[in-house]
Amino acid sequence: MAFLEIRGLSKTFPGATALDGVDLSAEGGEVHALVGANGAGKSTLMLVLAGVLSPTAGEIRLAGVPVAFSTPRAAMEAGVSIVYQETSALPEMTVAENIFLGREPTTRLGLVDRRRLYEETRRLLDRYHLPLDPAAQVGRLTVAGQQLVEIARALSIAARVLILDEPTAVLSLAEQRNLFDIIAGLRGPRLLILYVSHRLEEIFTIADRITVLRDGRKVTTVATADLRQADLVRLMVGHEVRERVPLPAPAGAPPLLEARLTGNPPRLEVRGGEILGFAGLVGAGRSRLGRSLAGLDPIDLRLDGRPVRLRSPADALAHGIVYLTEDRKREGLFDNLSVLVNATAAALPSLSRFGVVRLAVERRAGAAILERLRLVARSLAAPVRELSGGNQQKVIFGRALLCRPRILVCDEPTRGVDVGAKDEIYDLLLELARQGVAIVLISSELKEVLALSHRVLVMRDGAAVREFTGGEANEQDVLLAAMGSLPGAA
Amino acid sequence: MRLTDRGIYWVLATVLAAAGLIPEFRSLGNLANVATQSAALAVLALGQTFVILCGLIDLSVGQLTGLIVVLVCDVAAGRDAMTAPVLLLALGLGAGSGAITGLLNNRLRIHPLILTFGTMSVLQGIVFTYTDRSVGRAPAAIAWLADGRLLGLPVAPLLVLLLAAGAHVTLTRTRFGMHVHAVGGGRDNARRAGIDTDRVAATVFVISGVSASIGGLLVAGRLGVGYPHAGAGFELDAIVAVVLGGTSLTGGRGSVAGTVAAVLLLGLTNNVLNLLQISSFIQMLVKGLIVIGAILVNQPGGRRAFA
Repeated sequence: MAFLEIRGLSKTFPGATALDGVDLSAEGGEVHALVGANGAGKSTLMLVLAGVLSPTAGEIRLAGVPVAFSTPRAAMEAGVSIVYQETSALPEMTVAENIFLGREPTTRLGLVDRRRLYEETRRLLDRYHLPLDPAAQVGRLTVAGQQLVEIARALSIAARVLILDEPTAVLSLAEQRNLFDIIAGLRGPRLLILYVSHRLEEIFTIADRITVLRDGRKVTTVATADLRQADLVRLMVGHEVRERVPLPAPAGAPPLLEARLTGNPPRLEVRGGEILGFAGLVGAGRSRLGRSLAGLDPIDLRLDGRPVRLRSPADALAHGIVYLTEDRKREGLFDNLSVLVNATAAALPSLSRFGVVRLAVERRAGAAILERLRLVARSLAAPVRELSGGNQQKVIFGRALLCRPRILVCDEPTRGVDVGAKDEIYDLLLELARQGVAIVLISSELKEVLALSHRVLVMRDGAAVREFTGGEANEQDVLLAAMGSLPGAA
Repeated sequence: MRLTDRGIYWVLATVLAAAGLIPEFRSLGNLANVATQSAALAVLALGQTFVILCGLIDLSVGQLTGLIVVLVCDVAAGRDAMTAPVLLLALGLGAGSGAITGLLNNRLRIHPLILTFGTMSVLQGIVFTYTDRSVGRAPAAIAWLADGRLLGLPVAPLLVLLLAAGAHVTLTRTRFGMHVHAVGGGRDNARRAGIDTDRVAATVFVISGVSASIGGLLVAGRLGVGYPHAGAGFELDAIVAVVLGGTSLTGGRGSVAGTVAAVLLLGLTNNVLNLLQISSFIQMLVKGLIVIGAILVNQPGGRRAFA
């Protein structure tokens, strides 16, 4: 009987299956890594275990006893707690106050027993060798220190299953090494550590066994010692046939857009009619680069070979650079406004005379572009929030196209979009390229980047690490570059 | 250089030193007077400290104070036998109004600024429907509470000190107090830590309501009659005092001592300007500048405190 036994666990969201009959068994005393590419189901599995999401089907047993966690609190009480990637410690309070928040020891008078609070914290920190001062104010600690506070808090609540979600994402190298020492010190026969990460080096450093997920299914569980890095990547990628759409050849002209990069290659270039894909793991810095190309952070560029400084999105628009956000809900759409207003919002100067919008012209322009995108909506006057994800994305595309982009930067253009709309968006991007638009395509879906891009730029930890041209890119090499290879491994 | 949380004490010390140059100011009688006059505002500001620390705001306390002043005087009509009943009436009304505000806050999830603006308006309507002129008379015991002396010391400032000490211990030494800080510092994180954030929010509104009860009794005692305009503007003065005292408007950080110091600063400023016989319009102007200046030195990070 395994310490943690998961059988047939499934989780479906409207329109998507995040987990599909996952089995997993893990023992007390081990560090068990969960790995998979973006969207493989790691996060969902973890959130189900922590009681944040409830599963659609399947069973979880802890030390042989079936458990159903309806809330994070129930999971904690059963002995499972989770340390999230972003810190949730309260900055104005001390380490001890944070660790025992909601469970403060009190005196007989009902006052908080500060002496015991600090003593118990000290004992906890000593027991797990966590280098923290109980009286320190959390807001003054480094990010690494704040993370240790959360680990201490998790251990003080529940010391049976500790889930760490990409704990190194926010840490420096020295802090990472320190964290690995701490994790090694935590190991004990009655504690299972589930370690979620997509960084190969660290998995090989600290995990005893690895469970690989792909497309919501479990691929396998293997002992780390029996595995080479290249094998792990192959397990993550699978052997699916890759479809390639024939790409239109880009113009042989000089680059339309050039920008300096940190890393290798040191420069980014896109020509008219060319699609440049950005690949990398979540948090690799692709979106940040995309946003600065769109003027959201000040940046120096060369457009048509001439130096240009962008200070704002308005500057970028004036130069024909149009940006499509990855988060259309929060950064893109005006939820309560009509489909038409959402589509024409960025192009109003060209649709008005003397500062007054010409309503008929606006309506014709909006209707034409949305028809071209095959938008399905009750009416152009309907609020945009009523539309499906795919149709909302089309509205955002319509807004971009009305600005007549020369350079289109699109971040996750098919996120939360159904399969049919996805194909339409792919066709649209290819069509735009054919018309001579330079396109920067940022996507976490490797297949999408590979199928659509003339060249693929891979980023890791905020820097460019490699550029693949034309047909030389394949999933395995790109993923390997995105994750960073283990020194000395095959 | 930036003056941090301690800024208010420096400002207070500076104003005290400057005021010390005025001979009339230095008399003990005058100082006791300042403390007594500031007592009602101090009590309201103590209640508001809980609310703002918790990341909320309560605009209803001014009109609640007015309602209590009117009712206490009208019901008592100067009879000493009515002292105990009107005390209970005042406390019950404050606590009840706070409880309703808290309940609405938790149920409706309207921003507390708007919600309590609404309750403020309702209370104001009630006051002026009840009466548009001064009514009744405060019993002697309540007048003594507001303006009397105990062993030669003014009673109202003593009461404020007592309440301030209680508020300080509650906020720094009890689980509830820590939870107020936690909810103000990060409501979702507090909930994830298993804190009943709705109960904490409801409780701080009740505390704020009770602070209006006590404030109302003090105002009633000082005025002697139920003047319907008595509470107007009190809520803003209380909020200004709390923020001047270094409590972050977004919650999670602040102190009772800072609030008390800020109330004293406001009271002293008024007193000094009066002694200098400066016109009340110029007083408003000077007071506004002092508030803005004091907040600049007192709120760490300046504007960030309001972001």
